[in-house]
Amino acid sequence: MSASSTLPRGPRTSATTRRTVLAAGLAAAVAPGVRAAPARTLTVAAFPLVDQIVKDAIPQWSQRHPDVAINVVMRQYDDHHTAMTTALSTAVYLPDVMALEASYVGKFSDGGGLSDLRQPPYDIGRNRSRFVAYAYDQAINRKGQVVAAPTDIGPGTMLYRQDLLERAGLVSSDLQPSWDAYIDAGIRIKKATGANLIGNVRTFKDLMIRSGLKKGQGLYFDSDSNVLVDTPRFHRAFELSLRMRRNHLEGHLETWSNEWAEAFRRNMTATELGGSWMVGQLANWVAPGTKGLWRAAQLPEATWVSYGGTYYAIPRDSDPARKALAWELIEMMTLDPSRQFAALQTQDAFPALLEAQDAPGFDEPLEFLGGQRARELWREAARRITATAIHKQDKFAEDAVNDALDSVLDNGVGIRQALTDVARLLELRARR
Amino acid sequence: MSTPIRHPARSDVQSQDGSLAATPETRPAKSGPPAARWIAYLIVAIGALFMLAPFWFMFVFATHSRSEIFNLPPPVWFGNDLGANFKLLTERLPFWHNLGWSLYVAGMATVLTLLFCSMAGYAFALMEFRFKKGLFALVMATMLLPSFMNMIPTFMIMDALGWIDQQRALYVPGAASAFGIFLMRQFAASAVPRELVEAARMDGCGEFAIYWRIVLPLMKPALGTLALITFIQSWNNFINPLVVMRSLPNYTLPLALRSLQSTMNTEWGALMCGSAIATIPLIVLFAITSRQLIAGLTAGAVK
Amino acid sequence: MSMRRPSFLRLSPKWAPYVFISPFLILFGVFGVFPLGFSLYLAFQSWEPTGGLKAMEFVGLANFAFALKDPWFWTALKNTLWLAIASGVPQHLVALPLAAFIHTSFKRLRDGVIAVYFLPYITSTVAIAIMFNALFSQDYGMINAALAQAFGMSHIDWLHDPGRIKPAIAFIVFWRYVGFNTVLYLAAMQTIPGELYEAATLDGAGRWRQFFHITLPGIKPMIFFGVTLSVIGGLQLFEEPFILTGGKGGPQQAAMTSATYLFREAFAFNDFGGASAMSWLLFVVVALLTWATNVAFRTRKGPQ
Repeated sequence: MSASSTLPRGPRTSATTRRTVLAAGLAAAVAPGVRAAPARTLTVAAFPLVDQIVKDAIPQWSQRHPDVAINVVMRQYDDHHTAMTTALSTAVYLPDVMALEASYVGKFSDGGGLSDLRQPPYDIGRNRSRFVAYAYDQAINRKGQVVAAPTDIGPGTMLYRQDLLERAGLVSSDLQPSWDAYIDAGIRIKKATGANLIGNVRTFKDLMIRSGLKKGQGLYFDSDSNVLVDTPRFHRAFELSLRMRRNHLEGHLETWSNEWAEAFRRNMTATELGGSWMVGQLANWVAPGTKGLWRAAQLPEATWVSYGGTYYAIPRDSDPARKALAWELIEMMTLDPSRQFAALQTQDAFPALLEAQDAPGFDEPLEFLGGQRARELWREAARRITATAIHKQDKFAEDAVNDALDSVLDNGVGIRQALTDVARLLELRARR
Repeated sequence: MSTPIRHPARSDVQSQDGSLAATPETRPAKSGPPAARWIAYLIVAIGALFMLAPFWFMFVFATHSRSEIFNLPPPVWFGNDLGANFKLLTERLPFWHNLGWSLYVAGMATVLTLLFCSMAGYAFALMEFRFKKGLFALVMATMLLPSFMNMIPTFMIMDALGWIDQQRALYVPGAASAFGIFLMRQFAASAVPRELVEAARMDGCGEFAIYWRIVLPLMKPALGTLALITFIQSWNNFINPLVVMRSLPNYTLPLALRSLQSTMNTEWGALMCGSAIATIPLIVLFAITSRQLIAGLTAGAVK
Repeated sequence: MSMRRPSFLRLSPKWAPYVFISPFLILFGVFGVFPLGFSLYLAFQSWEPTGGLKAMEFVGLANFAFALKDPWFWTALKNTLWLAIASGVPQHLVALPLAAFIHTSFKRLRDGVIAVYFLPYITSTVAIAIMFNALFSQDYGMINAALAQAFGMSHIDWLHDPGRIKPAIAFIVFWRYVGFNTVLYLAAMQTIPGELYEAATLDGAGRWRQFFHITLPGIKPMIFFGVTLSVIGGLQLFEEPFILTGGKGGPQQAAMTSATYLFREAFAFNDFGGASAMSWLLFVVVALLTWATNVAFRTRKGPQ
């Protein structure tokens, strides 16, 4: 098989690009009225659906910079972050703009591989007040550098089945005073309707360990790498999780699994605690048939957490000639209310820009939630979320604590024993 | 307890073209009560169903929509969504480009691997040179490390060579396959008689001619085997393309199909459709090489 | 068969070996040795990869010490050994009699049967992941449905019960490679001459005795080859546990093999130094067990 005649060519080599640039430059010089071919290309690395958001911005960008093309390199979510790790590790083939999910911003922030956006020409500090506070704070690393610009956020919310609560004689405010109240309501719902309070107890545990965190506190470790797992915060979370399991209030289903989704479709799950984008997921594929039956409310016990979010970063070692342009693109994506709003409309991306949240049409009634204007709730929640400090071993700690919870719930291990054991495990790694 | 019986040289039972037909003389006794035989047939048939079932479902699911796939009970016969799935597949990915690249890369990988490994295997088996044993041990050692640990150094090398986003980064490195050289060396040692090579040399035959005209034809079965295995491994590999390729149109198929998967929102129907199509070339290849495969594996391992 | 070339073009037998191995060696030197060396070097460094290459810090044996004290490292190793045995042994125990049976009892259908049993080997892991996740689903999977129908068993949570996920993975690995091994053994059985069997039948030996005393010893080299591949492959088991657990370790890390742990250590926990050290420790284990397999087969040979 002859590659050259029957198969598509790969991207042009740099030599060819230079020739094209020269030719285009000449043509532009000779015929000033004619639009020049792109002389430069900005490479943006992203994952679905962020890649689509960037692509949607290209027409607006082309008006401002007709000579700069945008090349969006899309990879599946995990693959993208693996590829970004690889690129940062060797400082070659770095994109000009790197989209990162919130949890990866934390992972990459201390390594020094991302540019500090407070420096000129970026000066993101100037615009600090325009962003949702915690989203900005989350991108600040230990040295005080701001390593990424937030573009969308996932304010935590409680979604509940209005109809199931009604049958149990409850309203949403019955679930909100405290996590204990949430569970008590769950017992009543189970009795009246047979539905579980929630699909997966881990979701509940994750929220509980975050409730009551002060700004700048770490989740599993403090700033001196001391392990925080054997504390009342975790004990309470485990106790209530056990109470939930003992009362059969959770479905023991793996989030995003088919069984978990099916439980929604079959009216077997009464609430879900997650990011506001969960509404979109429910509506699109998880349980579209339950449209109109759900409502949103703030999380119990005044818990303000965020679920994910997207950021744009500029690698420290990317081509300096394009960094200013890269920042312009990021500015357009993050600080232009029309772009933020467009992303909300097309991809359900909740804006990190405060102005976009105040735009007319922002707080429209949401069909899936029976016409509820839920975005004002989420806007309110977003302003109350505080950033947590990230620790290098957080990912490991998450897995280890999940295992500890499973051992308590499934294998009958005592809570104190489980937490002591996991604390010891985390000690071994805390300072690596 | 009777002593194990030594079997005569391979050449006694192998036919000219290297393939092994099961002639009555090479098979053991068929005696046994018919009932037991029929039970054995039944077991094999049930086993065959187990082997086949996931395939069957893969092809069946390729013709169903996402919600149908997860019904209870799941569909066991074909549905009507093949067109829709295929349409989604081709909308989301440059499917034919990816398929084409997969074929090209796997094909080139196979050719290069066959060439380099047969040359080296022949040398290791039938020639003498310094550090032969040490080199071979070093090569074997690479088989013992997990390959994903090579991601970052591979990326560095490809960048240094300027091969990022080029297909040759995918098929050239694999040509130095430890498994390939192991197989080639085993087979050459047992299938190519030293005397033949010596005689040809004394006749004045050049080294390349010996390799090309004498050694290679004798190694055909092993070549078929290695071709099949190399093609399959190259086809299914997605880690190398992930590291090296940078744009969706340049991806090979397995990597491209991953873009349909996300934790939250996988397009199962389209994904099954793509996976099913991706398996077809492998099945075709296996059908072609299965005869060679059996002959190749046996002679190589007997020694 | 003489090909006369001018003497200055003829490759002399002295240099021939080097010419023949050079393409392979060049590629190996570039693409094989460098990663090997890099990984060895990295095992002695502490490295936050996103900081770039300059972020490496020499830490001596700290990574190795960490690995040896790490409970998860040992859990992974135990899981790996369990899975290697549980998936490897049945493969060969089934492949041997199966090959013998196909060898004796199938004529026209032989190629078809072999093809069907070989199919799992050529499937892509993506397809396998999808299929088996669906098949093993607790409430909606075929396997539980079949078990409930046939034996009235209640639904088993294959993927989330720590006691059940290992057998599920072992089953998948078995499913994938039993055909491959059957083909190996079937091929080897072709080389055993029929006269041996005829003589044995005349002597009054039944089918089973012939299997144990003629067939098995006759294909011993191939059994060694197949078992070695299974040992190496089993100890490096990565794909099947990875896809069945979505890249994590499964319920309470019950499905975490050494290879998947290493992968997570590197790419999820961003500890490349630790992961490299662990991969070299794993290397030692695999090398030892491969050597042990070698010895076991050699000493069992007996007088020939």
